[in-house]
Amino acid sequence: MAAILRRKPDPAGNRDEIPPGTLYLLILKSLAVGGRLHGYEIAEFIESCSDEVLQVEEGSLYPALQRMLIKGWVKGEWGVTAGNRRARYYTLTPDGKKQLGVELSQFERVMGAIFRVIQTA
Amino acid sequence: MSLAGEVKRRLQMLIRRDRFQRELEEEMRLHLDLRRDQQIASGAAPEDAGRAAHRRFGNITRIKERSHMAWGWNWLETFLQDAGYGVRSMLRTPAITFVALLSLALGIGANTVIFSFLDAMMLRSLPVRDPQRLVKLGNEDWNGITDSFASAELYSYPFYRQFKRENSVFSETAAILSMLNPVHGFVDESKDPEVINVQTVSGTYFQTLGVGAQLGRTLNEADDASKGDHPVAVISNAFWKSRFAGNPAVVGHKLKLGDTAFDIVGVAPPEFFGTKVGEAPDAWAPLSMSEAIPPGWGSYDKNFSESLYILGRLKPGVSMEQAAANVNVLFRQILLSFPDAKLTQENLARLNRTQVPLESLERGISDLRRAYSQPLQVLMVIVALVLLIACANIANLLLARSTARARELAVRQALGAGRARIVRQLLTESLLLALAGGALGIAFAVAATRILLNMISQGSDIIPLDVSLNFRLLAFTCAVTVCTALLFGTLPSIRGTRLQLTDSLKSGSAGSRGTSRTLMAKILVASQVALSLVLITGACLFLRTLINLNRAGTGFNKQNVLRLNIDSTLTGFKDDDPRLRMLYKEIEARVSVLPGVEAASFSAFTFNQGSWNSMITVTGMPIDRHVNVKHNVIGDAYFRVMQIPLLAGRTFGQQDTSTSQHVAIISEHMAHNLFPSGSPIGRTYFIGSPDAPEPPRQVQVIGIARDVKFADLQEPMAYIDYLPYTQREWGFGDFDVRYTGDFGAISSQVQQTIRSIDRRLPISHVTTLDEEVARSFGNQAIIAKLSAFFGLVAVFLSCIGLYGLMSYLVGRRTGEIGIRMALGAGRNQVGWQVMREIAVLVLAGIAVGLPATLAGARLVRNMLYGLGGTDPLSLAAAAVVLAMAGLLAGYLPARRAARINPLTALRYE
Repeated sequence: MAAILRRKPDPAGNRDEIPPGTLYLLILKSLAVGGRLHGYEIAEFIESCSDEVLQVEEGSLYPALQRMLIKGWVKGEWGVTAGNRRARYYTLTPDGKKQLGVELSQFERVMGAIFRVIQTA
Repeated sequence: MSLAGEVKRRLQMLIRRDRFQRELEEEMRLHLDLRRDQQIASGAAPEDAGRAAHRRFGNITRIKERSHMAWGWNWLETFLQDAGYGVRSMLRTPAITFVALLSLALGIGANTVIFSFLDAMMLRSLPVRDPQRLVKLGNEDWNGITDSFASAELYSYPFYRQFKRENSVFSETAAILSMLNPVHGFVDESKDPEVINVQTVSGTYFQTLGVGAQLGRTLNEADDASKGDHPVAVISNAFWKSRFAGNPAVVGHKLKLGDTAFDIVGVAPPEFFGTKVGEAPDAWAPLSMSEAIPPGWGSYDKNFSESLYILGRLKPGVSMEQAAANVNVLFRQILLSFPDAKLTQENLARLNRTQVPLESLERGISDLRRAYSQPLQVLMVIVALVLLIACANIANLLLARSTARARELAVRQALGAGRARIVRQLLTESLLLALAGGALGIAFAVAATRILLNMISQGSDIIPLDVSLNFRLLAFTCAVTVCTALLFGTLPSIRGTRLQLTDSLKSGSAGSRGTSRTLMAKILVASQVALSLVLITGACLFLRTLINLNRAGTGFNKQNVLRLNIDSTLTGFKDDDPRLRMLYKEIEARVSVLPGVEAASFSAFTFNQGSWNSMITVTGMPIDRHVNVKHNVIGDAYFRVMQIPLLAGRTFGQQDTSTSQHVAIISEHMAHNLFPSGSPIGRTYFIGSPDAPEPPRQVQVIGIARDVKFADLQEPMAYIDYLPYTQREWGFGDFDVRYTGDFGAISSQVQQTIRSIDRRLPISHVTTLDEEVARSFGNQAIIAKLSAFFGLVAVFLSCIGLYGLMSYLVGRRTGEIGIRMALGAGRNQVGWQVMREIAVLVLAGIAVGLPATLAGARLVRNMLYGLGGTDPLSLAAAAVVLAMAGLLAGYLPARRAARINPLTALRYE
């Protein structure tokens, strides 16, 4: 899984980077909840849902989206924003929904394992 | 997640690359704008807002690059970049590029051509269902008819019937006549006879092979159920297209073969050419009709007229060994069960000795394969060596060029280009060169394949062999091309990038690596010489073989004899019809009085046309079953036509009629070895075996003729006897005419005369006896010509290698030579020094090549004639040719060295 994010000193302070390997999961989940979103909206969605804790290097959404387009997990359609600008809106495909399940169970497995490790006595 | 969908999307991205890029940029711009607006809305100053947006977004160029990489095409883009760069750098040195391309095209093309023949003759499976389950009884592929007991190669029709019924190992069994009938037949109501090649097969043939009809039906069991009453035929796709223009209503049209009109019942599928590679029947007819199809070869009901191959499809799970065991048990049972089996001691012993071998029919039956498999393998080795030499040459050229580019490469490495990246780029250039060469090679191969097929066919009829481009061939060529690129590209690219950067940048020349590079180049050139020695020696051996064959004595005078074929079956006379004999006599009489004609005669055989042979028993001598005599049935003037001297007695004449004492003329060798001491004239002998179904026939010797070659030039002296056609019926083909003067004029007069006697008689295969003899060693001629050609190519390439190397060395040593000359070395001395270096290289190459040459010559020993494998003359000739070529190649650089002006040279330094 790509999108390993480099830590950057952020003057705005206490935000955490998203854990490596979870970018797909976050994007897929955002689309599953938000339905039809463009890139900026996805970034906003992730940050607001995480109460501004998770910070995405916003540009890195785009290579990830390109890869997801190729894999056929998402579909891109051009539409118009509220501000009357052209934007590419992404939606989940059936394959994408399936992938979300895969990523989720994977994530839960890993998190469960980590949790068990740190809870040990 | 479908892979196909992903590939499709990737391809789309490749094709609409620009659009995808634009869209991505637009998307990212929108993002930045929105973020900036958001920052402004939350109270930031406009400049700060833009900066913050950028900061949160990240490095735009890098992100674009990474998105780009997501499409998975960056390798292609780098490749295209490298390729573009490669094309430019190749165009900068057009001479090198031209030589490289030419030698590659020749090398790759030649490999493609030879491989296409190997593929067609030896590798390709028959286009039938599960060909690997098909087997054939016997493995020698005889063509003909025999009456000998217990033949493991040819079988009679009743044997086939019984075998089909009783065997338990084949799910299907079929039979096919071992010969193709070239019938002069008629299509529908046409009055012009045309040659139709008819293959007679059992009714089960198509079913056994699993081949259906593309139109109408194939033959079936019912067509073959009873003798002589199923005149039906299936025609080939080629015949349907050429003769009926692909008419879909062809079923119901007729072919008149002999006296019988055959109904066309179907058309075979396009890819199906029969079961024999290099032979494509126009039509298939059931064996039940074999006696009706001229010349009436084979028999439907004689137990011991053996002329068929038997084919079978192995039942599932039955192995070759199990099948062979069952076949051999049945072989004995069936032969012993025939009521007319002559169970003499000899025949029983033979039956016990004989084991029927099984042969896979996966790739079909092929005489071509037998004749050409070794020549083709030898040629394949030759062309592979030529390609190796070409590779060495190109490697050398690239090596020289990479030296010239040392500075450029050094600069690039100094600027941070990785070595791997530069090696990849240099290899891309090599690959590009190889691909261009390969493409040219394929074009060359397409043309050359036709030429070679013509050479092999040696006559008016092109052998029906599919040697056109196909997938396997293209895959082979691609593999060869890529291997070639790696072979000639790897060394220079690795060498070229191993640099002491500072050195190269400082001096701008090859610097300290010079010696190792020169050594490498010298090794390459010497190995070119070594390989060339192998090829030239081979060419000399084959050329000398050809010369020996041309000079070989035949026993007859092959000059000034015209020969042609007449198909007498169209007269409607049977072979034993006296009217047929009258016709022959009349043709002989009328032709022999033509001006310019010395003598004319019919004959069953002249040279290299097969044979009719049997054992004989001389009266008063013990029976020897190993004696095998070839019989020729001839007209009275045959010995005068062939100029075979009669050593004793008389030739045939008026007095020898069908009712007089049957007579024969025997060959010298036969008279010496098979007859008791004293003159054989007046003695009698029996033709035929006492074990054969037909009783032997007695003849009296009236003359002895000089020995002649009969089957081919290489055969050991054969026993031959001659019988007059007045006493032994023969449906003639060959008419031989000794003439003086112009061949064309005589030929047309002879043909006119024959037509004026009977216009129905089709005349074909008009040629000369000389041509006929040359045809018998056609494959030796092809090998000699091709190996000579490739030998010359090898020498030429080696010369270029030598020349290139020496020019480079002289150029690099200009300073050194200048100093030597300044210190008093003479011009000649300098020139000789260069020549000496070349001589050392050539001699080293010859020394290395010598053992390989000797080993190679031993391998082809059986393809030579009149020479031992280690022919010193050929070896010496090859060495001399190489030495001469080497000196020639070295002359120019040596002269240039001798002309160096010490002053200029030193100033240059």
